[in-house]
Amino acid sequence: MSDLLKNIIRFILLILLQVFVLDKVVLHGYATPYLYMIFVLLLPFSMPRWGLMVVAVLLGLCLDMFTDTPGMHAAACLVIAYCRPFVINILSPQGGFETVKRTPSVGAMGWVPFMTYSVILVLIHHIVYFSLEVFDFHNLFFLLLKILLSAVASLVLILIYEMLFAPRSR
Amino acid sequence: MRNLIIFIRRYFTFFLFLVLLIFCLSLVFRRNNYQRASFVNSANGISGYFFRKYANVQYYFHLRTVNDSLVAQNAQLLNQLPGDYPAADTSSFKHLDTAGKRTYLYMPAQVINNSVNTPMNYLTLYRGSAEGVEEGMGVLGPQGIVGIVRKVSPHYAVVMSLLHKDMRISAKLVNTGNFGSVKWDVAHPDPHYGVLTDIPKNVTLHLGDSVVTSGYSAIFPPGILIGFVDRVSEMSASNFHRIRIRFATHFQSLQFVYVVKNFNAEEQHQLETAMPHE
Repeated sequence: MSDLLKNIIRFILLILLQVFVLDKVVLHGYATPYLYMIFVLLLPFSMPRWGLMVVAVLLGLCLDMFTDTPGMHAAACLVIAYCRPFVINILSPQGGFETVKRTPSVGAMGWVPFMTYSVILVLIHHIVYFSLEVFDFHNLFFLLLKILLSAVASLVLILIYEMLFAPRSR
Repeated sequence: MRNLIIFIRRYFTFFLFLVLLIFCLSLVFRRNNYQRASFVNSANGISGYFFRKYANVQYYFHLRTVNDSLVAQNAQLLNQLPGDYPAADTSSFKHLDTAGKRTYLYMPAQVINNSVNTPMNYLTLYRGSAEGVEEGMGVLGPQGIVGIVRKVSPHYAVVMSLLHKDMRISAKLVNTGNFGSVKWDVAHPDPHYGVLTDIPKNVTLHLGDSVVTSGYSAIFPPGILIGFVDRVSEMSASNFHRIRIRFATHFQSLQFVYVVKNFNAEEQHQLETAMPHE
């Protein structure tokens, strides 16, 4: 299956899963897991930077259509698409990653770099999204609590996704 | 000029990032202007179609509870019929009452999208302007009040739920008649509880007292149940109680609601806004 087709199917399925299943899950009244931005995390290494950003904005806008939050998910995905190449550069060994694996995954990067990459990008995404959503820095403690709990929930889901859908060695 | 072009090409990615970011943030900050944000509005055909399909599946699983609450509400309405209180004698004079025409019309609508876990929660209804729903109409459910219609498209409507940081409902304590304002506490978001303010401290309250709409705003008919008094906290710094109320409506399981049209709303509103306010 070509990369493009795989990515398109992944795009649609992640958005549907997020809107119809994950948005209804609320942990302790504060945290909601967000799995859809794993689409940005898993875009191919070889995609140009401007392509990453445009696709991320489209992903965010699609989700915004369903959740009545104009532009918030789009802004958060855009920021992580912009930061993605920086993070990958920091985490990649001297010669760059093996270009045999086309997308970042546990197989291409190993567990620890991949988890670091996910943690950083997920945290950035949640900080941007929740700050825009609440936009009220008086209750900073609740904002931070929301960000951390949601990030933990999203990371658990990303871990499960990686274990299920990314074969370790190919 | 050439240096400018070279500069832009060197930092092209960054400029693209800025342009897209400004676009997204402009969407966020214009959220109250619905002409411009309408293309991201969930009351449009595409997302409405998906939500309808999903809601049809969900509807089947909730048939039993919906039926039970409908039966209870029917019983309550039947008990309010004037025929329940037959009078022994009929009136002896003719009584021309032009206000005797219908004031409130209830239109049922299906809820196809709902949320309870964000600071600003909205419901989407499968009934729009083509079926008589207008912006600003009140919405109530089988157990009590639900919200106010905010945006309408031909076949869908988006309702600002009671669980919204900007929502205020004019309310009244049934036992004493005091009126106050009900809102939702965003700092401690819980879909079951809200806050009743502006009740002075000299009023005695009991747990379980009913709080209903006062009818002052012309959005809701008077007497619609909002909730029950749950806890009264001591706030010694002010002359008012801080009352926590438990909402009568179960927001997490709403399937059907009624949109209320008040035929006298415009007249009342015009008269009220003609008075000077601060």
